[in-house]
Amino acid sequence: MNDNALPWFILFLPLAAAAVIALFTQRNKTASAALSIAAVVTSFALSVTLFVKLSGETLPNPETFNLRWLHVGNLYVDFGIKLDQLSLLMLLVVTGVGSAIHIYSYGYMHEDRAVSRYFASLSLFMFSMLGIVLAANFVQMFIFWELVGLSSYLLIGHWYERPSAAEACKKAFLTNRVGDFGFLLGILLVWSTLGSINFATLADTLKANPAALLGAAATTAGLLIFCGCVGKSAQFPLHVWLPDAMEGPTPVSALIHAATMVAAGVYMLCRVFFLFTPDALTVIAWIGGITALLAALMAVQQNDIKRILAYSTLSQLGYMVMAVGLGGPASAMYHLTTHAFFKALLFLGAGSVIHALHHEQDIWKMGGLKAKLPITFWTFLVATLALCGVPPLSGYFSKDEILALALGKNQALFAVAAFVAVLTTFYMFRLVFVAFTGPAKSQARDHAHESPAVMTWPLIFLAVLTVVAGFIGIDERYADVLGKPAFGNHNVAVIFGLSAFLIGLFAAWKLYANALSDPIPAASSRLASLLRNKFYFDELYAKIIACTQEALATAADWFDRWIIAGLAVRGAQGATELTGMALRLLQTGNLQTYAFLFVTGVVVLLYVVLR
Amino acid sequence: MSLLTHILGWPLLAALVLAFVPRNFRFLTRLVALAATFTSAALAVVMFVKFDTDAATDFQFVQILPWVKSLGISYHVGVDGLNVGLVLMGALVSFAACCCAWEIKEREKEFYILLLVMTGGILGAFASLDVFFLYFFHELALVPAFIMIGVWGRGEEKDYATFKITLYLSLGALLALIGLLALYLQMPEDKRTFDLVAMTAHFRAQGMDGSAQQFIFPLLLFGFGILVSLWPFHTWAPLAYGAAPTATAMLHAGVLKKFGLYGLIRIALPMMPEGAAMWMNCLALLCLGNILYCGLVAMKQKDLNLLIGNSSVAHMGFVFLGIASLNVLGITGAVLVMIAHGLLAALSFALSGYLYQQTKTLEMEKLGGLLRQMPFFGAALVMAAMAGCGLPGFANFAGEALIFFGAWTEFRVVTVIAAWGALVIGAVYMLRAVRSVLHGPLPQEWHVAKDVTTPWRRLPFALLLGALLLFGFFPALLTRKIEPVVKQIVKDARAVLKPAITAGVKN
Repeated sequence: MNDNALPWFILFLPLAAAAVIALFTQRNKTASAALSIAAVVTSFALSVTLFVKLSGETLPNPETFNLRWLHVGNLYVDFGIKLDQLSLLMLLVVTGVGSAIHIYSYGYMHEDRAVSRYFASLSLFMFSMLGIVLAANFVQMFIFWELVGLSSYLLIGHWYERPSAAEACKKAFLTNRVGDFGFLLGILLVWSTLGSINFATLADTLKANPAALLGAAATTAGLLIFCGCVGKSAQFPLHVWLPDAMEGPTPVSALIHAATMVAAGVYMLCRVFFLFTPDALTVIAWIGGITALLAALMAVQQNDIKRILAYSTLSQLGYMVMAVGLGGPASAMYHLTTHAFFKALLFLGAGSVIHALHHEQDIWKMGGLKAKLPITFWTFLVATLALCGVPPLSGYFSKDEILALALGKNQALFAVAAFVAVLTTFYMFRLVFVAFTGPAKSQARDHAHESPAVMTWPLIFLAVLTVVAGFIGIDERYADVLGKPAFGNHNVAVIFGLSAFLIGLFAAWKLYANALSDPIPAASSRLASLLRNKFYFDELYAKIIACTQEALATAADWFDRWIIAGLAVRGAQGATELTGMALRLLQTGNLQTYAFLFVTGVVVLLYVVLR
Repeated sequence: MSLLTHILGWPLLAALVLAFVPRNFRFLTRLVALAATFTSAALAVVMFVKFDTDAATDFQFVQILPWVKSLGISYHVGVDGLNVGLVLMGALVSFAACCCAWEIKEREKEFYILLLVMTGGILGAFASLDVFFLYFFHELALVPAFIMIGVWGRGEEKDYATFKITLYLSLGALLALIGLLALYLQMPEDKRTFDLVAMTAHFRAQGMDGSAQQFIFPLLLFGFGILVSLWPFHTWAPLAYGAAPTATAMLHAGVLKKFGLYGLIRIALPMMPEGAAMWMNCLALLCLGNILYCGLVAMKQKDLNLLIGNSSVAHMGFVFLGIASLNVLGITGAVLVMIAHGLLAALSFALSGYLYQQTKTLEMEKLGGLLRQMPFFGAALVMAAMAGCGLPGFANFAGEALIFFGAWTEFRVVTVIAAWGALVIGAVYMLRAVRSVLHGPLPQEWHVAKDVTTPWRRLPFALLLGALLLFGFFPALLTRKIEPVVKQIVKDARAVLKPAITAGVKN
């Protein structure tokens, strides 16, 4: 097979699978699942082939294969494929984690009513996500950006009959659209200033003439493009959709709302890192830091196992965005990669628990699952330790890079990051103690049993990746293409990181090791309810929307109904009819009336003339 | 005879044939109508494929038959890159509309005759290169629409809707007629002709007096504008589409409504570039009325048909914005959206019409959970909603994107607001519709609703969706034909626009 054709196969196989499922195998669940899994596994295999073939070489001209998609006037939108170390590694992550989750899904979803729809949407998602990874220009990226939004919408709404799921998918799509609005404007601004939308051309233009994009316009363009990331990667203030997205099936949460799609924002920032001015980067870093902190605080008082993980995802995404803002895209990508492994693992572990407990998600109704679900427990623990940054797991290395980066660049953000690390350990071990090792809190546990092999093997696969990912030189590969960031003192960062872990662990152990109910609400009910209600962001936004867009819509509707269609149109019609009626009164057909009117007229006329 | 004459002739011929078919031969009636529209659609596809893209600025498949020589009226049809896609879209929608007319149970024969006349009129209007016939065919299509809404319409407001659409559109057509006659009179006496090609060539070479342009351009702008539901002359549209029988709504909202836009691009812009330059700022502001205001109104609708109607009015705003930007990107995008929206509006009304047959109500609060009961219908509705909020993969996205790129360089603030309208407001009302019709629990009473099961019933939906996806994946199929023609128009307009800029008319 021609090398140039490989990326196209990787990209289009999942789309082909989605199309075939949608058109032909709707009724055959097994065939649908098999098609979808085969497509993603083949894509993974081809990605590995491509990676091995190209890893030694420096890629001379990565965009050798361009298709003209839309050339009109002075706008040239090609359908290209951008292959460099960045997209190659991201391909591996997406297809690798994707394969594990597709296989896991077969076990998790096999009793579902709509397996075919599920797998078709999942394949559509893979296609869209791979499209983002391989995109060579802004418009192409925007296209796939929208398509992942669609597939996320379809998958969150998989159980659309539940009102909560139906609302959640709508919310996710709309919140993303708000971010995309900024993204689109950013693309327009970049295009009109620099005359191109092609990543390579833009980079060359800026390299040749750094003055082409300077000052306020450059910062504005960068921040508008960042809006896309704020929506897709659920950064503050558009973070509200991600926790609700947990209404989707758990494998979906693992793949889309933890490992891949939400990371797309970070990937995009790294892809166009050359566009950002120092001012823009400062804003980006703070947004990331704020998100990391807020989300970690919210996670402390959640009781739904998936929501805890969702807030944890938000918080970690905040870390990555902060890393980009601090000038370390390589570290951000490194953390993105390791996070993809262990967060997918955490979600799949949670899915295994939920599956065993017949869809129980409240951690206060679990407990004592360690003995019942050994594989799930041990893999979950590995992932938890990685998330908390315990050596020698992969999370330790990537998190340390971010802490060291912050230490060197911005002490305030370093303090935030270190505090978030404490919180991370605290809420994760709260989860582990309450759900797995603490006393059983309901009967459900007694009937629980370990998930089938089709679900546990992906857990083990991801656990292995979580362990080894710190040692196989991923960080160096990213540094090759994105540049080595300027780190602060690593040793200090490590000391802070490990102390954070120990403090968090100790606090969690003290409060939750044997708890039957949560002690925090009893101690401080106001703090607990503030955290549990996520700082009332949802309520605040609902108010804002009700006061602005909804109020405008009501006003417009009223105006349309009563003024334009009512007064103006019906008024004109009414006036015509009224005149007609008045004139009809005059036309009585009675000769005497006419004579009377005639004589009156003559009298009036004479009076006026002769006066 | 030219292929085009066949395309617009078969439906008209079939209407004539149907007049002689006894009214109880119901199957035969349908068969004749379907066969005629199918022939049109198939021939239109052939024409589209055979169309020589490299010579897109030349008129192809031309036929000229002189009629009234003293007035310079002749039957002259032909397509260039601008209208070849519109004729194809019109023919496809006509066939789909005919497929969806099975819901009509009373006075079928008359209905099909009117439908076929409307089809012939529509295709004629887009194919004509003679101003007289252009107008004549448009009226030929318009009058049956009024009758169909009045006689076969539904709902309590049917009579008022008929009354309103008739008044509005007659007014619009009248204004346009005055404008067209004024154009005719602007020609020197010895050269007077209704031939569009000759008129354009004349005005392109000689130019038209600036004061005349000042007077005639707004006549055409608002005359054609009313036909396209330009804000604030839009209130007829949602009401009429809500009351119209499915096939009529499909044909009118999908195809006939685009006539006004086509007229602006084909007649007003090339003949009166100065007038255009003068009025485009005004149009850019008015289009916000469509995009923003009607989008907001759509958010508040409780009836699915009114929602679709308002959204279709809102979509017209994007086309106006594209035209107002007066550059290659904007106008090419505008024509692309005209085609895409034609397919989409027809699809949306076909879906809502089908739903009405099943549930006898389109009030969204009463519906819900129907995706479970009607998976095919539901999937099609979700796709239509997604196309409606500009999702890539459907032709609308390519068109709207081009319009944004085109408008961005001309009207920045307007573009920002329009992008909000497209990305956020559009998504709000479309997803609301999906949420309340398809998602949530299924009420007991709708267990009777049946999905679209037979291939015949699925055909119109599949056809329209397929076309939307095809042009969405390969928009260059259309843009490569449209762009050369638009380039010519823009070049002329810009030539006069440049002095206007220095004179400070446009800043």
